[in-house]
Amino acid sequence: MPLNRDKIGTEYAPYRYEVSREKIREYATALGESDERYFSNHDCVAPPTFAACFTVIKGGTAAMSDPDLGAHMALVHGSQSFSYDGDPLKPGDVLVCTPRIADIHYRGSNEFLTVEVDCRHEASGDRAVLSSATIVFLGSAPQPQEESA
Amino acid sequence: MSDLAAVEVGTELPVIAQQSSLMTSVMYAGASGDMNPLHYDQSIAAQISPSGGIIAHGMYSMGLVSRALTEWAGGPEHVTEVTVRFTKPWPLGTTTTFGGTVSEVTGDEIVVALWATNENGDPVLKGTGRVRR
Repeated sequence: MPLNRDKIGTEYAPYRYEVSREKIREYATALGESDERYFSNHDCVAPPTFAACFTVIKGGTAAMSDPDLGAHMALVHGSQSFSYDGDPLKPGDVLVCTPRIADIHYRGSNEFLTVEVDCRHEASGDRAVLSSATIVFLGSAPQPQEESA
Repeated sequence: MSDLAAVEVGTELPVIAQQSSLMTSVMYAGASGDMNPLHYDQSIAAQISPSGGIIAHGMYSMGLVSRALTEWAGGPEHVTEVTVRFTKPWPLGTTTTFGGTVSEVTGDEIVVALWATNENGDPVLKGTGRVRR
């Protein structure tokens, strides 16, 4: 069964995420980072991919638990992007994160679901980071007869 | 950290070589919150992994290539985008090398072609980084 392409553009419930110093440290340690600011009590900032901690699983789950999407378990994480409009994340940043199905398309027998998570500062409304994940669903692309129907 | 003013097309970033292990995988799972057992439980990996063995998180490989980019750029305030496409699983116990090559320099923006290769030279990921000077 192909994914439901009527779901393109669907937004899911926003969730709140508060960036903390200890989580940045833990993440930087796991990556073997050496920039002292990731471990600092004064001028701490987060590595660019720190956003993975609150976008990849949460955003993917929001979309894939939608019963009308038709997600299935034969899937792989195909690609991922983080883009920043302003400064790096830092401890105390409070973000409001809204997942959205940005695209569904297929190539060959596979389908590609793109889930964006728009993460904005709660205080200003300015975008902090945009996450874009493409999940590849194996083997469920529409067959030619479904396509023309 | 490099002198970004002197960067030109073709400039190579310093590489990072990392061997994955159960330890790196469990640390990344805990830090990122991605608890998919494919990345630490052999009995699950035997059923669902393409190789039958445990594979590292794709996002761990993205984190490492982003680390290579960010260290070179002089810190996260210089990095405006990191994008990767995962091309091959990274089995635990093997070493992946992460690097990048400057592909474009326009005004204040530097575009870097990111790459990671396994021990056979096959690409584990390919991507793009954007850096502002």
